[in-house]
Amino acid sequence: MERIIARFVAALRESGIRVSPGESLDAVQALALCGMEGRRSSRQLLRLTLVKNANDFPVFNEVFNHFFNRFQFVDPEIDMSGLMDAAVINMEGEFNYLNQQQGDDHDEPGPLLKLDSDINPEDLQELKSLTEIDPDDSDGNEIVVQMKGYRGKAKKAPRPTRRYTQNPLTIELNKGNSTERGITFSPEEQAAMQDVVSRMMLRLRKDMRRMKNNQNRGKLHVIKTIQKNYRNDMVPFQVALRRKRREKPRLVVLCDVSFSVSHASRFMLLLLHTLHNQLLDVRSFIFNRDVAEITEMLANMPVNDLMETIDKGDIIDLDENSSFGQVFLKFKKNYLENLRGRPAFIILGDARNNYDEANDWVLDEIREKARYMLWLTPEERDTWSRGDCLMDTYGSYCDKVEVVKTVDDLSLVVEDLLRDIYADQAHPLDKKRLREAKAAETYDSKDYYTRGKSGGGEPVFDSAGRSHW
Amino acid sequence: MITEQGVKDFLRSGGYIADDAIATAVFLALQMEKPILIEGPPGVGKTGLAKALSSALDFPLVRLQCYEGIDEGKALYDWEYGKQLLYTQLLRTQLDNYLSVSADLKEAVERLSAEESLFFSKNFLVQRPILRSFLSEKRSLLLIDEIDRSDDEFEALLLECLSDFQVSIPELGVIEAKRKPLTILTSNGTRMISDALRRRCLYLYIGYPELEREVAIVRIKFPDLCETLAHRMVEFLRKVRDLNLRKPPSVSETLDWAQVLSILKTTQLTPEVVANTVGVIAKHQTDLQKVTELAVQELS
Repeated sequence: MERIIARFVAALRESGIRVSPGESLDAVQALALCGMEGRRSSRQLLRLTLVKNANDFPVFNEVFNHFFNRFQFVDPEIDMSGLMDAAVINMEGEFNYLNQQQGDDHDEPGPLLKLDSDINPEDLQELKSLTEIDPDDSDGNEIVVQMKGYRGKAKKAPRPTRRYTQNPLTIELNKGNSTERGITFSPEEQAAMQDVVSRMMLRLRKDMRRMKNNQNRGKLHVIKTIQKNYRNDMVPFQVALRRKRREKPRLVVLCDVSFSVSHASRFMLLLLHTLHNQLLDVRSFIFNRDVAEITEMLANMPVNDLMETIDKGDIIDLDENSSFGQVFLKFKKNYLENLRGRPAFIILGDARNNYDEANDWVLDEIREKARYMLWLTPEERDTWSRGDCLMDTYGSYCDKVEVVKTVDDLSLVVEDLLRDIYADQAHPLDKKRLREAKAAETYDSKDYYTRGKSGGGEPVFDSAGRSHW
Repeated sequence: MITEQGVKDFLRSGGYIADDAIATAVFLALQMEKPILIEGPPGVGKTGLAKALSSALDFPLVRLQCYEGIDEGKALYDWEYGKQLLYTQLLRTQLDNYLSVSADLKEAVERLSAEESLFFSKNFLVQRPILRSFLSEKRSLLLIDEIDRSDDEFEALLLECLSDFQVSIPELGVIEAKRKPLTILTSNGTRMISDALRRRCLYLYIGYPELEREVAIVRIKFPDLCETLAHRMVEFLRKVRDLNLRKPPSVSETLDWAQVLSILKTTQLTPEVVANTVGVIAKHQTDLQKVTELAVQELS
């Protein structure tokens, strides 16, 4: 039985559920206590002991069905262990069979792999990159710019390959997801975003707590001090201070949903959705040629439903060409007046105005109302002045323009922004410390988590992409 | 030897209808002496399970309600400063006599520090819920309610208690549980609980119950409500849950509504009845409207 459980746990780990050795021991113990009475109860036992997150239940069920569908549950008189061993051997045969099929299924350089299976995909990728012209070397004529667009794609190591060789079970589990790339999010993507956001919140919260003590420093709260020291015979050992009201950071996000930036905006919306109930006062808008508020919907709808609603064009007409000038005008007319506080603005878009009127003076007005203005664009800096792109015009009104291409970039940028907002309200002492910490961090620790995860390679988020005005 | 069916039966005697997953979890928790972490939407009977268990098993219930800023002084133990001060005041003459023998200050300090442990003994220890349940002579039921409201630090503090059932007090050393309590943690999922804590627990997710179970729950709480009405009521509520409301009605709302209907002596579920009592089911203005609309569609 232990062997079966160990194998099953391995299968779970392959599908991304984290199971500790202690938990698998629990599972064995639980099965011994309750006996293997039937598929249903065993499934329940395993789920109770191995899966500690309700979001993982569907994955668990899938793996369970896969793994155990050739086991027969029999009455205890029959020699169980013999049967199990037979089953394991049987399964191993199956594994081998699946192993031989490796390489047929995936899209990355198949033929080469077959010729010489010793070359591993990363080496191959390195070889490939040798043949590329390094775009940083030149001033950027059209061809190079085009290549640059594809560079990010080529740099990605074909990660799934390694996983397939480790465990054939995942092949079929992943098949469904890799082929279609619709507008909705797969559970994996949602889980990954949850992961990114919760890590981000954790880091933020840690910093904020350090800051909190100083920030709340106020006058002596006499009554509370007396209450607190009642048990100390009124000797004021512990002092209670009045707390200052802490302001919640406010965010206003304008997100372009036209086709040209759909990839980036898709993740921005997911990030917003995940952020929404975490800490912030966020108001979210989407625009194309028209602008509409989706704050309520983000808070109340499942993210996939929302994406479909947007995609169908129920909120704003997606067939229109995006026009930033129009959008700014409409935003000013309808929403600018009733924005509370001094929110931070984030605009996500490529600033491709389709040769419409720029109306950049509106941004000046928005700027007056905003604490901070940040523009996120998925395009590289070289292309900002090309064609109908008004990035340079609009950019001059913003505090910062950042290039974001991946989820990790996005979360880093947003985290930086939040940190800035918090720091804005901080005690002078903390401000100094934060500045120092930031200076020290630029080298290593800040993106320690995210970098490690994106699978090595050079950072997508290079300094050339940032700019300040 | 208790069996899973036995667990179900004694829970029923405590007024709680359990499904297989719940019964298995309770059975395992009793056998393996591991805590259960229960997650699920609000009002599906997470805390109710603990209460029913405590009354059915006759374990005294020790409840710890978590909130932001809860710390060890509130959850584990605290020193009774007032009593300590009082004792030093009252014992002043004895102390004077005791110390007057010593020749110099240094010796006096040494003599006093030799007796220090007197003032940090169990005599002056205030037992907070967790320590209290550990030291109870009878096996108790420790309910740590809404753990997601507490801070990360508190979660870390719980790790030792939950895995080894012991509390370390610097002045006294490690205090082990006399009888390991049956521990139940509940969470509404407003915050992710750390993996370290999850790993130490059995994980039970309680969702909305199936039709038959919910009817049985209504029947056991309100036996005088007629069965067909209970059935129709639960069916209607299940449709309401699919409406995508801001706050979907859960089991506690079902029970409230059943109570209201039995007080009003209703026999038929009509749109008017729903319209009059909708405040029990829906708790937001926008939701009210959706529910009454659904009632007109479904029940007329």
